[in-house]
Amino acid sequence: MQRYRTLLNLWLLSDLALFVGAYMAAYLCRVGWILSTDFPLDKHITVAAIIAPLWLIVLITTRTFSLTRNQATLHNAAYIIYAAVMGTALFTLTYYFLYGAFFSRLLLVYAMVFTILFTIVWHVLFEKILRSALRKDPAVFRALIIGVTRESKRLIQTLNDTKNPITPVAILDGRGTKEKEIAGVPVKGKLNKLEDVLQEDKITHLIQCSDLEQSLNLLGACRKQGITYMLLPSVLGIVERDERVESLEGQPVTMVAPKEGWWTWFFR
Amino acid sequence: MVLSLNLQMHTFILAGGFATRLWPLTEKRAKPLLPVAGKPLVSHLVEQIPEDIPITVSTNAALKEGFEQWKDVMNRPNLTIIIEDTKSDDHKLGALGATAQWLEQEAIDEDVLLLTGDNYCGFSIPEFIRSASTGAPLLAVHDLGDLGKASAFGTVITDTNNPKSVIGFEEKPKEPKTSLVSTGCSLLPKETLSVVKEYAKEHPDNVGGIFEEFLRRSIPVECYTFSEPWFDIGSFDAYLEASRALIGENIALDTGTTFENNTCEGSVIIGKGSTVRNSELRNVIIFENTTIDDCILENCIIDNSCILEGIELNGKMLREGTHLAQHRNK
Repeated sequence: MQRYRTLLNLWLLSDLALFVGAYMAAYLCRVGWILSTDFPLDKHITVAAIIAPLWLIVLITTRTFSLTRNQATLHNAAYIIYAAVMGTALFTLTYYFLYGAFFSRLLLVYAMVFTILFTIVWHVLFEKILRSALRKDPAVFRALIIGVTRESKRLIQTLNDTKNPITPVAILDGRGTKEKEIAGVPVKGKLNKLEDVLQEDKITHLIQCSDLEQSLNLLGACRKQGITYMLLPSVLGIVERDERVESLEGQPVTMVAPKEGWWTWFFR
Repeated sequence: MVLSLNLQMHTFILAGGFATRLWPLTEKRAKPLLPVAGKPLVSHLVEQIPEDIPITVSTNAALKEGFEQWKDVMNRPNLTIIIEDTKSDDHKLGALGATAQWLEQEAIDEDVLLLTGDNYCGFSIPEFIRSASTGAPLLAVHDLGDLGKASAFGTVITDTNNPKSVIGFEEKPKEPKTSLVSTGCSLLPKETLSVVKEYAKEHPDNVGGIFEEFLRRSIPVECYTFSEPWFDIGSFDAYLEASRALIGENIALDTGTTFENNTCEGSVIIGKGSTVRNSELRNVIIFENTTIDDCILENCIIDNSCILEGIELNGKMLREGTHLAQHRNK
């Protein structure tokens, strides 16, 4: 876990530097390599340095740094763009409040675009570094898969292929499958070995892919040992990947709604 | 306890199974130690065995501790626990293999009453022993009285002219010829033990197969037919059914229980030191030191030291130490 914390801190610090770097690059592109006395670089960088932590907080609130977030997705890019817009707005306001002056609007556009581009590229790169470091033996996040099903086989394969930081290290199957391993992950027996496997394999995540009737007991075991529990929707018979988790008067619910036009996404 | 029968006999109880179908109840205890109608399943068997017949219970290292504690409670001088050299389901010796190993190691040369520890037999075991003929293996068979139900078990075909004489077996037949089913209680005369040891080498898992082997070798096999209750506690449903049949539509409260303001239906069993308040229970078994408050439970088995508050459950077995509390909407 120490490895993860160190990497995460490194990531956050590098993002701060990246934000300031993006504003520096925007300055150099717009103002030029000969520094302007009308619009001094030191003021520009001071404000960027003040705003960087605020921009980072905005980015953190979008859960971009979450372990389960895939950086190379449109979804994630949208959050990065949102944070960059917020960063630019905050930069503009802060500069005005501190120095009582506005300046080149194009510079702001440059700064925003550079922030977006730098952040996306760096995040995609850092994700690769992070995944490889977290998977290095012994893997930091070690998952126990419950159930040998087509869905669980696909999941294991995907987690391994994408080098997801959550590394499957063991499988238990309530029905006692004859298969000895799935994609290199050993099948360690039936659920009676749960306690042993949780301890011996230092499990941090449990992913239930079958044996719905045992969900309470699996969840109980996870709660007791501080393990993160996950449930595949297919265990509940939801197999079309059209479910979402919503809140119904404060009560979380898994929702599968009829398909409608894309614009309904904003209102549902 | 039944008094002496003055017989040269030894009882061997098979209790080495890991009972994975009953997980999580069998996570830390052997299936024969599951409470049935207020006491461990195996105690129902042992209490019926005449006191002059020594008893050996064969289990595995993982379940040893529970059996040692149970032995202390039973307080029977000629009760021995032996440990199979297996720690997991994958390295089991096999039921017949364990029997043969014990016969070899202890150089047993007397009749053997062979029992499977996860069976509840409502008939009289002394009467079963008395019904044996010299030299003939004897198998207890239960008359289910329903051909449809028999198809889920190993059936025993008897001679129409001599109903005590077994002429064949069928394993889970699609169309059973009889409603007599084989149970986990048999008597092996000392003359047949060499066959058991020999057969076990090839079929260490097949206890039932030994009787077919006897017939193949023209050794007459007899049966003792009974219609008293019999349960093979192999699954969640079978366990609940056994409790329902033995307790009836009643509430069985063990010592030190607190039971207040509850509505009950069917059979409800509350174990030692448990507290149940303001709840609706229907066919529920609650083990020891568990607290249930404001719950609706139906067809549930709740293990030791659980705490449930405001929960509604149906058809669940809950693991020892489970804490579940319904938090109202935030």
